[in-house]
Amino acid sequence: MEHSSKITDKKSTIHFDTNGICDACRWAEMKNNTVDWKRREKELKELLDKHRSKDCSYDVLVPGSGGKDSTFAAHILKYKYGMHPLTVTWAPHIYTEVGWRNLQHWIHSGFDNYLFHPNGQVHRQLTQLAFLNLLHPFQPFIFGQKNFAPLMAVKFKIPLVFFGENEAEYGNKIENNFSPLRQWPQIKTKDLYFGGIHISQLPKYGITKADLEPYLFPKQEDLNRVGVQIRYLGYYLKWIPQEMYYYAAKNAGFEANPYGRTEGTYSKYNSLDDRIDGFHYYTTYIKFGLGRASYDAAQEIRSGHLTREEGIALVKRYDGEFPQRWFKEILDYMMITEKQFWQAVDRNRPPHLWQKKNGKWQLKHAVWME
Amino acid sequence: MLTLRIIPKLEVKNENLIKGIHLEGLRIVGKPEAAALKYAQDGADELIYIDLVASLYQRQNWIDIVKRTAEQIYIPLTVGGGIRSVEDVKIFMRAGADKVTINTAVVKNPRLITAISQKFGCQAMVASIEVQKKFDGSYEVFTDSGRTPTGIEPIAWAKKVVTLGAGEILLTFIHQDGTYAGYDVALLKQITQAVPVPVIVSGGAGTIEHLIAAYKAGADALAIASLLHFNKINVKTIKQKLKAKKIPVRI
Amino acid sequence: MKIALIDYGAGNLFSVERALKFAGADYYLATRPEQILKAGKLVLPGVGAFSDCMNGLKKNKLDAAIKQAVAKKTPILGICLGMQLLMTVGQEFGTHQGLDLIAGAVNKIKTSSKLPQIGWNDIKIKQPQSPILKGIKSGDYFYFVHSFVARPENQAVIAAITDYGGDEFCSVVSYNHIYGTQFHPEKSGPAGLKIYQNFVRQVRPAAGS
Repeated sequence: MEHSSKITDKKSTIHFDTNGICDACRWAEMKNNTVDWKRREKELKELLDKHRSKDCSYDVLVPGSGGKDSTFAAHILKYKYGMHPLTVTWAPHIYTEVGWRNLQHWIHSGFDNYLFHPNGQVHRQLTQLAFLNLLHPFQPFIFGQKNFAPLMAVKFKIPLVFFGENEAEYGNKIENNFSPLRQWPQIKTKDLYFGGIHISQLPKYGITKADLEPYLFPKQEDLNRVGVQIRYLGYYLKWIPQEMYYYAAKNAGFEANPYGRTEGTYSKYNSLDDRIDGFHYYTTYIKFGLGRASYDAAQEIRSGHLTREEGIALVKRYDGEFPQRWFKEILDYMMITEKQFWQAVDRNRPPHLWQKKNGKWQLKHAVWME
Repeated sequence: MLTLRIIPKLEVKNENLIKGIHLEGLRIVGKPEAAALKYAQDGADELIYIDLVASLYQRQNWIDIVKRTAEQIYIPLTVGGGIRSVEDVKIFMRAGADKVTINTAVVKNPRLITAISQKFGCQAMVASIEVQKKFDGSYEVFTDSGRTPTGIEPIAWAKKVVTLGAGEILLTFIHQDGTYAGYDVALLKQITQAVPVPVIVSGGAGTIEHLIAAYKAGADALAIASLLHFNKINVKTIKQKLKAKKIPVRI
Repeated sequence: MKIALIDYGAGNLFSVERALKFAGADYYLATRPEQILKAGKLVLPGVGAFSDCMNGLKKNKLDAAIKQAVAKKTPILGICLGMQLLMTVGQEFGTHQGLDLIAGAVNKIKTSSKLPQIGWNDIKIKQPQSPILKGIKSGDYFYFVHSFVARPENQAVIAAITDYGGDEFCSVVSYNHIYGTQFHPEKSGPAGLKIYQNFVRQVRPAAGS
């Protein structure tokens, strides 16, 4: 989806059923009541038995950053299920100190790891374009995060790749929760866009096709040759983010945010690695009216850790908080001025969500206004 | 002689006893009143009840739990979480609390310490200090259950709260909380040496050796949570083991 | 025969009431002199500063009523600051008159250790026959919260002593029908409840009440 994003595209939104219940909530309920987790774990064991190496060579690839999810995934595959994971990391745009430390904790809990940084100049340029054209500074990271794993799986000839949770946990199509496999639409090179710019126009910005290799999904024939399957561990094991936090803290020494709550939310254990994280969530707040606190609270409400009232109180207090801490650094990274930053933000405020009152931008609707 | 106090710390959310790590996470571990009664019967010297997220949600609605617990125990009960005024303190005292512990509200308004200690006595005003260790080794005071940095240095703050009238300090190590990795003995020693009031230390207890180290660093009382809530050891056994190491405890 | 729990605005009575209930006491809250005078026994709690507490008693003429009742041999149990008020003078923030039911002064604990003393400390019994100490033994622990202590002139009234930071002070007084504990028996677990039970059941009320 990222590869075909053009400036004029509209985001496809979450699906609501006829009772007004969204897919994420329906899935949360099924997770707790309908899904036969014993059966799914059995499926996992059978799958792993088939792939487990007899000579201790790598038999599963786990992409991640040393965040709570990838820490959990790699650790449980190795220590509970007896696999031999290779972990791979697509570097954040700019590491936070706690992000780097958690990567170390991950490695020191017993894993080989390849850390890959894409060409710094290319990455910054793509980030700038993505921000200015799509108000989506995280896009280059997302390319890498999704594509690096299958790329490395092909290189190392490891057929089995495990991502953690399915995006359907958060509201992608509910049908996706019923398959362990990640689906990818195959897009032809001539249809590729990066940062909202068609691939043919990128040389104008100093980016060649060779520079884009790390951001591309591997060729189907390579994937077929190795037999790469990309699966979600969240299909086989009940995924509760808070439980992943406890597991990672206990088993690998995962550290929560040392600055206290993360800017824009109340929580301390999500998305800590990248100094640009805050801007990813801030731009989603601008574009969709939902900030970081909304995502965290919604997830915790579905998991039963918060009531709706509590969630609303937290969203009211923290949603849309500007990530001031690394603002200057991110402006430098994206090679733009503060003026350009705010111009890009303001031209991307959908009029059906935002209005100006007394010279200040305000959301027309917010959950706490009900 | 005066003994080292063992104080179970119970973090409460709604009707549940919860326990986090680094003051994050809301994992339910049981019911607070049942746990409180058990600890009292096992020989706990005091109990601390914290509504861990009260200041975060800006509400206070768990007076009933305090009341029901206070009715069943005959040891001191300290209550904290979202207490913002002398009026709030009155409500909790009437519900049966003996002391209150306050962090966020006194950082925002230090004179609240004086007002409370003048009205209820300094022994009733326990200043709660939550400390995070930063990567450069320095320390910072946090509010809102480990979520909001204040820029305040803990030793200077500890001295200040005492001059304002706090009768005790509850010192919590955010970076150690829930890890069983031990207390931050270096900082603990600095604080106990800096203030003339008792210091209750919390955050990180994992072994008897940790407890002994805290006692040697000058702690007057140990607030323990994970170690007890997850049944790794009980109060009775803790005291027996401490006594065996010649640490004065009430048995 | 009822017990009057004197309520003069000095602190929380919640815990004392619960302990009295536990001990099976038939008690009522007394805020006026006549309520004190008709009681079979008196409980005098106290928290805070000596002078504030005395002022609180004087305001409603409760101090005179207490002295009168005790003169008629009504047993009295002073708790924490309540015990200190039984003395002649208190020396916290200047010199203040106490109830003068026991000769002596109240002054600060002499120690370089932290003040107030907060926590569990043990007692050494000097008057094993005192009814207030029935079933209690030396080495039992009680909960203390104080910076000041009573210093009775007559050593014979001292029923138990406690050491804090090198200062051995009087932790229980027992003088005829006058009793006091420096510690908080309602906060001292089972041992403390025994003190209340003793006051309710072991201590004889004044004749003719």
